[in-house]
Amino acid sequence: MHTRTRITAAAFIAAGALLVTGCAGGSSAAPVDVTATPEYSGTLSILTKFAGDPLQPYFEDLATEYTALHPDVSFDLIQETDQSVKDKTKTLTASGALPDIYFSFTGNWADNFIRGGLAADLTDVIGPDTDWGQTFGPASLGAFETDGKYYGVPLYNNGKFMGYNKAIFDEAGVSVPTSFEELIDSCPTIRAAGYEPIAFGNKDGWPGLHYLQQLFAYNVPADVLEADFDPETATLDDPGYLKALEQFKTLVDTCTDTGDGTNGVLYTTAQEALAGGKAAMYYQEILEFDTVTAEGNALTTDNFGFFALPVPAGAQGDPDAIEGAPEGYLVNAKSPRAALAIDFLKFVTDKTNAQTLAAPPYGQPSTVVGAVSAETSSNAVVDGISQVNEASQIVAWLDMVTVPEVADAWLAGGEAIISGSATPDEVLTSVRDASESAE
Amino acid sequence: MQTAVKKALGFAWVLPALVLLGAFVYLPLVQNFGFSLQKWDIYSGTSEFVGLKNYLKLVDDPIFWSALGNNLLYAVISVAFQVFGAIVLAAIIESIRSDRWRRSLRAIYFVPSAISLTVAGLLFYFIYEPNLGLLNAALDSVGLDALARPWLGQESTAMLGIIAMSQWQGFGYSTLLFAIAIQRIPSELYEAASIDGVGPFRRFFTVTLPLVREMTGLMMIVTISGAFQVFNEVMVMTSGGPNNSTQVLGTWLYRSGFVRNDFGYAAAIAMVIFIVTLAIALVQLWITRRRRVEW
Repeated sequence: MHTRTRITAAAFIAAGALLVTGCAGGSSAAPVDVTATPEYSGTLSILTKFAGDPLQPYFEDLATEYTALHPDVSFDLIQETDQSVKDKTKTLTASGALPDIYFSFTGNWADNFIRGGLAADLTDVIGPDTDWGQTFGPASLGAFETDGKYYGVPLYNNGKFMGYNKAIFDEAGVSVPTSFEELIDSCPTIRAAGYEPIAFGNKDGWPGLHYLQQLFAYNVPADVLEADFDPETATLDDPGYLKALEQFKTLVDTCTDTGDGTNGVLYTTAQEALAGGKAAMYYQEILEFDTVTAEGNALTTDNFGFFALPVPAGAQGDPDAIEGAPEGYLVNAKSPRAALAIDFLKFVTDKTNAQTLAAPPYGQPSTVVGAVSAETSSNAVVDGISQVNEASQIVAWLDMVTVPEVADAWLAGGEAIISGSATPDEVLTSVRDASESAE
Repeated sequence: MQTAVKKALGFAWVLPALVLLGAFVYLPLVQNFGFSLQKWDIYSGTSEFVGLKNYLKLVDDPIFWSALGNNLLYAVISVAFQVFGAIVLAAIIESIRSDRWRRSLRAIYFVPSAISLTVAGLLFYFIYEPNLGLLNAALDSVGLDALARPWLGQESTAMLGIIAMSQWQGFGYSTLLFAIAIQRIPSELYEAASIDGVGPFRRFFTVTLPLVREMTGLMMIVTISGAFQVFNEVMVMTSGGPNNSTQVLGTWLYRSGFVRNDFGYAAAIAMVIFIVTLAIALVQLWITRRRRVEW
């Protein structure tokens, strides 16, 4: 064999070896003991979704207070925004660098970490029968339950409502709509009064999904909707989907000033339009209530009101469903500091810190029982969370409740409906295709 | 004996570079090819060998083809502006007699290149913003409000909007490089052409263009390769939307991996990008080597 041939052969063998080692995946580690007594030393790494104002200081302050109690404990805080936390989490997961504590949505998002053995089983410390578990609302705690085991620490609850400016409604002479059709009918009147009826920014795609999921919950029977989230059981042939997509298109065309260009607007721009008194309504999460009425905004707490997206006439789904979900934190199943992580999370969710979280400027409706009250939180947050608690069911975010391929198809479909480049039928077909290929 | 020592020493000098190249370029390349033959679950860390399935999936994926088309459009427009447009502009600037004006113009055109792509993307996002953006306001103020539109919000204009920003950002850099190449052309050639009665247009085509051929070749490689590696500006301005209309190979790779959890497929897209850019580079290197002009 010539030298060059030998070198080539060696290179291929080396490449083959790399491929084989690349194919060998997975690692098994002994489960962490979450009930162990924590050792108060070392650096605790945490990935939060609290980057930016007004949320950024919450974990920073808690870390400082915890270090004051336990001087040998330090923190490595990775704070991300709602948009960037998704990419950051996956990057850290793929590179095997998940922190000790990390943010998680519920639904398929959390299930992936549980299925992959990356989330510690916290049943022994946070199960419904434990002291810590009983401090949370049962529904919130159950949001991170899988096969009877509890994996997450729910930090705050959330729900989606149409926030509105009472002063603009009064000026335009419109009242809170009681049906979807009334909402649509009110838009030209509000526009005639000189305001954008509904501010909407869909640059990131997910704000459109929030409308769609609430409309699906109204138009599609609950059991059908639930089955359709899972590609194994999905048929996606209920006529309610088409009705919901058509209603969404009507709302965009009639009630937004940006119309088919809404995909070019940031959701924060829309939020500012309501906060700045330029728009009458903005579909928002409870988490945003205190932001739109923050000091200095044209919209004051007295003029701020909200209502659930009104139900379309003749809708065949659940008229009392509200879209939302708790959000919380998982503990890395491979963390050498799992016990310390749990101790810190207990500190984060004690009554005092939970009340701080629920109060302005944070305004995050804590899942801890009694933390959200008229004494600690704004009236809007208290009322919002009451409505979430009274809802017949909480429908989780569409991009979190189903598998990523299907969520991505809905996201592109929502954008296509807005821009008018696809009909509801075409969107539904593309989602069905995505669901079939994801099976 | 001395020759052997010399050879060993020579090898020792290049060894660090070889090790670094191997570790950070070729090893990841081979590993990426390995990943492209697998279905990889980042959560469990497990993977399954699927052969060429990810490559076959590429063939049936309409978004992959539209992303490839967007890269091609990007390349064509970039070559037109950043290569041919830049040569013309550089020739005009270098023909200006005033040294001060020449320097000033070079600096003015170069400034956008000093801005990071992410910042430039954000800047243009706000210029294109449908409600508050400068572009629509400018069109409005000159009575062209009928042309105002949500530039990045509509599938028909979003990709062109991004490409326009990219030309603004990269145009000055290539102009500067061409200006340097033009400065290297001996002035005697221009003088001789002038004595022969050759006008400025013909001088450009018969003197300037042939003698900057090497730089033109290099800029073609850099521009076309760059067009197939576009990522930042698209992510900042549209994230590939609306309705995937601005996906390019880089963003579709990212979305496939980090949003759709299909890392094997993402690795296959990465291999396509590598093959395309490598092929372009090899072809153009070959062409420019054959036509090298020396003086």
